[in-house]
Amino acid sequence: MYNRQRAVKTRTVHHLFSICHPRKLWQNKLRGSRVLLVGLGGLGAEVAKNLILAGVKGLTLLDHEQASEESCRAQFLVPVTARGQNRARASLERAQNLNPMVEVHADSDRVEDKPDDFFLQFDAVCLTGCSRDLMVRVDQLCSQRNIKVFCGDVYGYYGYMFCNLGQEHNYVEEKPKLVKPTGNSNDGPEAKKAKVDPNETTMVKKTSSFCTLKEALEVDWTSEKAKAGLKRTPVDYFLLHVLLKFRTDKGRDPDPQSFAEDSQLLRQIRDDVLEALAVSGDLLSDDFTSYCFSEMSPVCAVVGGVLGQEVVKALSQRDPPHRNFFFFDGRKGNGVVDFFGPK
Amino acid sequence: MSDIQPCWFLQIDLDTIDVSNLNRQFLFQKKHVGKSKAQVAKESALQFCPTANITAYHDSIMNPDYNVEFFRKFVLVMNALDNRAARNHVNRMCLAADIPLIESGTAGYLGQVTVIKKGMTECYECQPKPTQKTFPGCTIRNTPSEPIHCIVWAKYLFNQLFGEEDADQEVSPDTADPEAAWKPEETAARATASEKDGDIKRVSTKDWARSTGYDPVKLFNKLFKDDIMYLLTMDKLWKKRKAPTPLDWHQLENSACPQEDSPVSGLKDQQVLGVWGHCQLFQQSVETLSSQLQEKGEGAELVWDKDDPPAMDFVTAASNLRMHIFSMNMKSRFDVKSMAGNIIPAIATTNAVIAGLIVLEGLKILSGELESCRTIFLNKCPNLRKKLLVPCILDPPSANCYVCTSKPEVTVKLNVHKTMVLSLQDRILKERFGMVAPDVQIEDGKGTILISSEEGETEANNSKFLSDFGIRNGSRLQVDDFLQDYTLLVNVLHTEELERDVEFEVVGEAPDKAPPPQTNQEEVNSITNGNKDSAQPSTSSKAPAEDDDIMIVDSDEEEGASSSSATAATSGTKRKHSDAETGEASTKRPRTDQLSAAAAPTDDDDDDIIALD
Repeated sequence: MYNRQRAVKTRTVHHLFSICHPRKLWQNKLRGSRVLLVGLGGLGAEVAKNLILAGVKGLTLLDHEQASEESCRAQFLVPVTARGQNRARASLERAQNLNPMVEVHADSDRVEDKPDDFFLQFDAVCLTGCSRDLMVRVDQLCSQRNIKVFCGDVYGYYGYMFCNLGQEHNYVEEKPKLVKPTGNSNDGPEAKKAKVDPNETTMVKKTSSFCTLKEALEVDWTSEKAKAGLKRTPVDYFLLHVLLKFRTDKGRDPDPQSFAEDSQLLRQIRDDVLEALAVSGDLLSDDFTSYCFSEMSPVCAVVGGVLGQEVVKALSQRDPPHRNFFFFDGRKGNGVVDFFGPK
Repeated sequence: MSDIQPCWFLQIDLDTIDVSNLNRQFLFQKKHVGKSKAQVAKESALQFCPTANITAYHDSIMNPDYNVEFFRKFVLVMNALDNRAARNHVNRMCLAADIPLIESGTAGYLGQVTVIKKGMTECYECQPKPTQKTFPGCTIRNTPSEPIHCIVWAKYLFNQLFGEEDADQEVSPDTADPEAAWKPEETAARATASEKDGDIKRVSTKDWARSTGYDPVKLFNKLFKDDIMYLLTMDKLWKKRKAPTPLDWHQLENSACPQEDSPVSGLKDQQVLGVWGHCQLFQQSVETLSSQLQEKGEGAELVWDKDDPPAMDFVTAASNLRMHIFSMNMKSRFDVKSMAGNIIPAIATTNAVIAGLIVLEGLKILSGELESCRTIFLNKCPNLRKKLLVPCILDPPSANCYVCTSKPEVTVKLNVHKTMVLSLQDRILKERFGMVAPDVQIEDGKGTILISSEEGETEANNSKFLSDFGIRNGSRLQVDDFLQDYTLLVNVLHTEELERDVEFEVVGEAPDKAPPPQTNQEEVNSITNGNKDSAQPSTSSKAPAEDDDIMIVDSDEEEGASSSSATAATSGTKRKHSDAETGEASTKRPRTDQLSAAAAPTDDDDDDIIALD
């Protein structure tokens, strides 16, 4: 699979007052979209806020967890008085108040218990706080039906976002119009260059291609080419593997209450994961264990902002999507986009 | 993190909550309209964290009560301002008090955060900054002073009449403008009153227009006569500004000269029409657009596009009429189009990202890790090194800075025979050099006081020319702003050769034009901001809907015609940012211009925080 970019039919947009106006189209698409958001932790709340403000048609908040003291702190949609209540239901009122035009629903079921066709009613699905297996399953199911899939999590200072927009995601991009050079050879090199007309833009149609989460996570690092590429590979990718494995093994994320025990387990998992992937154990130093506990609210804001905007762009089919991972390191202030998967 | 105890937060904001703020924030609700932003933000924040210690001041940060001693009470200042004047002022106060300042800004998809610390980093004014490109709502609605304000207004008007109505794009006079009120309490009362009235009487602009059948003359008289007359009743606004002059359709019709207004073929776009010409253009475009709207049926909306002739005609006409009303030279369709096409709305998620980054920098400062602070740029697309967020090492102070060096000095070119003392005070010292209350002494051996910050003391000098005081080529003026603890030595360079419409020039700086179009994603990061020569900075620093201030970004040029891959940025890196990891030196400094970010109050893990508006 590869990334296909085709600039098809560039045309100056003159006949704009028909209902097929590109700008109107993307607005309509977004305003007609229904989105499922799984997980109303700190990151989920940020994403919910961003999507509701952007003005999707419907947003379903799905979370079986109860609001704890910590979630009341990390998450601004759940009132402090709602401790003990279901997180999705507790978030509903404030979420709805952000934009009365959006149909916001709360669902307290476990995402694992939802049948396949539950997911198929949405235009986009956004998974936070989910296990790797669940994410792989839902991603598989949805992307086949042209449902946009997003995953994201925040672990302390670290966060990531993944997206699968399907094998053929079409979008438009507004580009400045290039004016063909008209000068003859006597006018010098300047006259021959295509010049940009700052006043004219065109809407260029493009296509982008995505792989599944399974493929993205199961990259083979044993090949020579992969090994050579390791130097330029963000280590966050491997950190993600470690954290997802922790979640699968322990059924929860690292907990500050059991810092010592969890840190030790994290280091162990790190060793196992890196070995299994056949990459060097040096890739992830011990440091990371100090900084991956709890959802830090500013990190949720950053990752939630990027993730929220990607959902909006994908639904509007406007502007190039980030392909296919975004990693944020809050210690360094680094935010990287990179592609993992079959080339 | 969870074991840092909250100490004391102070939020200062002059603004009251407007209905247009509601759909971009989670702090304010409809019931809060008319109330003080600072106060309600405090109440809402307390809901998230009842144990936080927050104080709210409904006031302007430029109030002299907030002197250096006041600033010294805090260990950290975070800005979320929307205008140059306030930013310059806070910059100076933080330098004077020697406390770290986190500055930030957003423009569409782009954003940046940086930390300012006296002696260690550049200050906000170390690098010259081009034109301010975000404008508070009251500037658009009440007190435009530049063509761009009028063009933004005309685009809003288009949407209000023909497109999707947006509470953030009001065109009618803003009664809740803090500058219009003689006392802050009055503002709140007016805002609440207008909101109450609205429930009963307020009709949407579109509905009103529809009720007149989109009659161009009726629209014209409301927008360019009645509304202007209303503005004139807000007398405080015109105390120091030239008042607008309303237009009357029939008067203009009767006095129109046929010759001056018929457009010459060929160069049509680059011609500047006369007033009546714009009236006719207004009429024609309203008729065309309203019939298009009618054709589309019930509930239809038009979408503005600069490449659509009637839409562009409408904005050309409406903006020019408004420019004329506010005593500005009118512009050609070509110029209007170029400015109108570059306006992009702010994006809420950008503000969320920047707010998160502000807090993260704040945490570093509070943990005593100043050296790990960075400037972080948010790109629209990843750069060649795959980075969407680019941390850069903070630059040291500039040796030429006219604010933060130990003995700041500038040279100003002007005509001593034609520059009035009042102009020196208002346009040069206040607008351009960001002072709030300057005192000026001439270094003539006699210590002649030219300007005193005490009200009334030197008023008699205002309309005299500088040459009347013996100021000539080579004269030096010592300018002090005691509030900002700032002294600036101004060298006067007399000249008779300034460009048309240019009153003065600061030597050593490029003429203040919009930066040339940029070729690469990173370059678009130079988020441009305010111009000292142009807009009168509103000391009220009103920021209705910070998230919805309109920004202008220079057109994003591409080097090649071929499409680029989704992940790589456009080719041709012309600039490198110094990289935190590799320590690469920058080949050219990116402009650290910053625009406002939504204030995301605030994390309880910090000591004293002021949120300014």
